Amino acid sequence: MTLINIIIKMSEGLEKTCAIFFLTLLFAIPLGMIVALLRGSKFKIISSIARVYISVLRGTPLMLQLIAVTYGPYYLFGISVSRNKLIPVVIAFTINYAAYFAEIYRSGIDSMPVGQYEAAQVLGYTKTQTFFKIILPQVIRRILPSLTNEIVTLVKDTSMAFTVSYQEMFTIGKQIANSQTSFVPFVVAGVFYYVFNAIVGFVMGRVEKKMSYYKI
Amino acid sequence: MKKRVIALILAALIASLTFSLAGCGKSGVDVPVPAEKAKVFTMGIDPEYPPFSYLGDDGEYTGFDVDVCKAVCDYLGWEFKVFGVNWDQKLVQLDSNECDCVWSCMTILDSMKEAGYIISRPYFDNEQVLLVKADSGFKSSADLAGKDVAVQLGTSGESLLNEDLKDLADSFGKVVTCDSFLKCFTELEGNAVDAVFVDRPVADSYVAEHEGFVIIDEDLGAEQYGIAFRSGDEELCSQVEGAIDALVADGTYAQIAAKYTDIDEGNLIFLK
Repeated sequence: MTLINIIIKMSEGLEKTCAIFFLTLLFAIPLGMIVALLRGSKFKIISSIARVYISVLRGTPLMLQLIAVTYGPYYLFGISVSRNKLIPVVIAFTINYAAYFAEIYRSGIDSMPVGQYEAAQVLGYTKTQTFFKIILPQVIRRILPSLTNEIVTLVKDTSMAFTVSYQEMFTIGKQIANSQTSFVPFVVAGVFYYVFNAIVGFVMGRVEKKMSYYKI
Repeated sequence: MKKRVIALILAALIASLTFSLAGCGKSGVDVPVPAEKAKVFTMGIDPEYPPFSYLGDDGEYTGFDVDVCKAVCDYLGWEFKVFGVNWDQKLVQLDSNECDCVWSCMTILDSMKEAGYIISRPYFDNEQVLLVKADSGFKSSADLAGKDVAVQLGTSGESLLNEDLKDLADSFGKVVTCDSFLKCFTELEGNAVDAVFVDRPVADSYVAEHEGFVIIDEDLGAEQYGIAFRSGDEELCSQVEGAIDALVADGTYAQIAAKYTDIDEGNLIFLK
């Protein structure tokens, strides 16, 4: 198998890697915000539920969560294991990443000075308006670097989908490495991940620049 | 200025540490190995491959291959050790000295010999079969056209589906590769796939222990198991082969085989 063939074959899997990546971001970013808001709730019960959620999801390996989400429903309730592995994989990634995102959001929200809330109140903003129009844009600006960190980790974590036999790029790379007894696919995988992350880094850099308007 | 001094001191510290550590490694080699110290023989196995190599109820690795290797080590006076390899990286791990042999239902492939590995005489006649659910009604590989089939990554079954049985593989809906056979079986049990492509003895053992599964009686690929050693280890290989011959001669081998009723004795080449 020539290098070109290896690259073509692995690119087919890249599509599936991208599917995990984008779908996870799509669901985890808003879910993380919901968890962060619940975590900051005045009601003890709600905030402790969110706290337990974060603690469990952050405290157990993603690999275990993947197995639990994929095979758990079958062992517990006898529901057939999903044939389209993308569904359990995205669910597992989303609930895991939402926990991390929630903590990042919280660090941003907590960093906003009380004076801003007071000023907004004086100016006649409602609580919702204050949050979405004044607090949130600044929070996003502040947490972008840590968010980028997590997103970069997500790109690399997609390779863990192999645990539940989802054939993403790295799995295909392993298969080729195996049949060809060659290390080339691993090098190719490394380059793929690096380029992917370089793009993520570039895009996030641009977003950061755009948001610098909200810098105080 | 101050920063630079600190940086220099740090660099010197790191350098001296590296050198002293490197020195440690060297001096360790210089110590002569006492003659009476037994040779340690590390066996590389797939730890999830019953009944040949698996984690027993007592938490120790067991299975037919493991027991034979243990007996070989006892016979030769070697200290016996087990190392669970990552099956799709087994030869890399053998090369990196993590184990001294790969001995776990390893199918002898020409590509291994071409790559320079020393392969022992074959000890087991194997065939690849399809395992399906009893209530699925599948009777032959042709019935599985358009259906999903699971196979373990790095096994001879996987390479068969990629090469000699490419047409069969193409007739399947999708070939799912899992990282262990237990995952393949879980996929089958949970209805995520319709069949598992697997070595005959593993399928036999699974059917014996779990209800509701049958093997499609169709020989899809004949092959033989052997033991792989690093290139240059001809002597080690012949020592192990010699010990196995002795165990076959004194009946120990047959005794071990009798312990594993799932293994068809007719396939054990040394007992023929």
